Amino acid sequence: MKKSKRILALLLGASMSLGLAACGGGGGTTTTPAPGNSNTPAANESSTPSAGGNVELTIWTYPIGKFGDYDTMQGLIDEYTAANPGVSIKFELLDYTNGDTQVTSAITSGTAPDIIMEGPERLVTNWGANNLMVDLSDLWTEEATADIAATSQAVVDACQMDGKYYEYPLCMTTHCMAINYEVFEEAGALQYIDEETRTWTTDNFVKAMETIRDSGLVSVPGIVYCGGQGGDQGTRALVNNLYSGTYTNADHTEYTANSTENVKALELIKSMVDSGALNANAGFQAADELQQFANGTAAVTFCWNASNKANYASQVAFTPYAMAFPTDDGKPELCGGIWGFGIFDNGDQAKIDAAKDFIRYICDDPEQAKESVQLTGFFPVRASLGNVYEGTETEADAAEFLTLMPYMGDYYNVIGGWTEQRTNWWNMLQKILTGGVDAQTAADEFVTNSNAAIG
Amino acid sequence: MAQNAVATAGKKPRKEKKSQFSGMSKALIRRETISAYLFLLPSLVFFIGFVVIPMIMCAVFSLQEMGLDSSANKFIGLANYVKMAQDSTFWQGFVNTVIIVVVAVPAVTAFSLWVSSAIYQMKTVTRSFFRCVFYLPVVTGTVAVTVVWKWMFNPYNGLLNQIFGTTGYDWLGNSATAIWCIIMILFTTSIGQPIVLYVAALGNVDQSLVEAAQVDGATKLQVFWKIKWPQIMPTTLYILVITTINSFQCFALIQLLTSGGPNGATNTIMYYIFQMAYNNQNFGYANAMGVVLAIIIAIFSAIQFKFAKTDN
Repeated sequence: MKKSKRILALLLGASMSLGLAACGGGGGTTTTPAPGNSNTPAANESSTPSAGGNVELTIWTYPIGKFGDYDTMQGLIDEYTAANPGVSIKFELLDYTNGDTQVTSAITSGTAPDIIMEGPERLVTNWGANNLMVDLSDLWTEEATADIAATSQAVVDACQMDGKYYEYPLCMTTHCMAINYEVFEEAGALQYIDEETRTWTTDNFVKAMETIRDSGLVSVPGIVYCGGQGGDQGTRALVNNLYSGTYTNADHTEYTANSTENVKALELIKSMVDSGALNANAGFQAADELQQFANGTAAVTFCWNASNKANYASQVAFTPYAMAFPTDDGKPELCGGIWGFGIFDNGDQAKIDAAKDFIRYICDDPEQAKESVQLTGFFPVRASLGNVYEGTETEADAAEFLTLMPYMGDYYNVIGGWTEQRTNWWNMLQKILTGGVDAQTAADEFVTNSNAAIG
Repeated sequence: MAQNAVATAGKKPRKEKKSQFSGMSKALIRRETISAYLFLLPSLVFFIGFVVIPMIMCAVFSLQEMGLDSSANKFIGLANYVKMAQDSTFWQGFVNTVIIVVVAVPAVTAFSLWVSSAIYQMKTVTRSFFRCVFYLPVVTGTVAVTVVWKWMFNPYNGLLNQIFGTTGYDWLGNSATAIWCIIMILFTTSIGQPIVLYVAALGNVDQSLVEAAQVDGATKLQVFWKIKWPQIMPTTLYILVITTINSFQCFALIQLLTSGGPNGATNTIMYYIFQMAYNNQNFGYANAMGVVLAIIIAIFSAIQFKFAKTDN
């Protein structure tokens, strides 16, 4: 009896210890589905290797067009692994709500993916600056650099830091705003916009919003969202454009959001909120605001691009008309978006080489590169690819946003302290728009705190 | 006689220490002891692996400047703690955390006790129905519950504004109402378990004592305070401690609804820790705040043990 108790105790102890070992064992190839997607087939199935092989890669993608779609990613990977049987690839789809947390957790636990798809503000300024990324200089051949520079030198500059390239870009776009065309038409506010150039002046923007407010056609003319950092490029662009302010200095070494122009813009927005021509919402982020725009509750959105247009296409019962942000001088400067690939330095040269080969396939392969860009819904960084939407079903939609590409402004996202300033920005907007704090005081505090985080 | 009684009362009665192992051979005792420890071992391994070691690591990391680049980590002594003492955002978070705990814990405990007192003597089917109703928010999951609440609080087309006729009022975007909205949702998601526990505890109260008190003419209130309350005190203590810890660690609601805003009105220590670690990637400072939060929770729990201690 006693003997059997002892054996039972030992067995229990051993099994629990093994359980512990299993929990902590963490095989390098195990992936964790995104919390937000944990119940979706995509997240669950994404842990299955696409094919057998000697080198196993892991790719994490943020939702950049259809690179956030399970079937699209699986198709891309299947095509690549069919031609490269020595490589197997797992992928995981991130979202912008939890993605950064997942990546940070993976980095700190030593389980970062091999390849990640996002923009320079993460790949270069954050992870690259922290020595976590592989230098991709060998991908930046003379031909590639010249081709990308022909589109925009800013793209080339944004992908490097201290002479090392941490991102190999695929596509780019400009973030803009959009109006509910039918509401503007019915309210008589179309007179305030230049439909040919998709621009409007600051004065006309104010008049248009007041006209919409007075028409009573929608619950709220526009929502200045400041409940978090999601979609903050929209509110940054709104503030910077109204009186031609800048977000950083030209060298990207200091934040300048407390300049006279920016403070004047913040005061204008505050006065519009007070008059009901705009509504400030400290509980909303861009996704919430976009939903209200799609519902027809708000007449404008400050967070629009080709990807959002595609995402909300099935929900809108009106024409969402893309517009540049209003400016006092008629020369809008829109925030740019650049997306591409980076490789985490996991210390395995074979994986790094395989990862580079995969990136070349997606971005440089003469046939695949065009398709890859189409999947994003944005525009190619390589000038040689031309108009990738020509002759496609989405040509008209693309043309709408192509009109706005010349307005692309300074890509200041590469400044240091980027992650900290994002929190500071929406907190500053809350203080001014809902907290009653003076615009200059709040902007000064934003600049002081953000500059201190540059490091 | 009386002198004897006093003398007896003056002397401490000599306790007879009678071990449970009395009469057992040493070898048998050893075997029993080893068996007991072996049964405890798995829990101990988990406790050390997932509680003790992380706590030690947290304390050690709190003395370092830590970012994503682990090669740049350096020992900075108590600098993180000094920074914390001067950080107005941390103190705002501390005040908000205390407000949530001080309001939510008594409210949850009192409401749970009231509901349990009302339903524990009902028929089994009715009692189970009410237990299910109140437990539903617990099993539904915080994210799902929070999303529904977010729809209800929507300023433009939310249910609350439709009911109150206050279209446009921003419940979550207003500093005066945001934290109360958080506390209300926390309340609804926290009462399920205490109600189930109280129903069980009240069902286990010795009925002979209740009946004796009633025979002696005790009122309902007296029966409750003198008979039932002392017997459910261990359950109350457990509920107080668990609810306090949950309230201190309230995170998902704030992350999903307000991100700590507006103007820091719903920022808590727990949320600030997350923000510092995952947004700002300042792990050393986040760990320092984690240590302080653990100490605060320990102090609150100790106070509760002190005031709610029982012989049971």
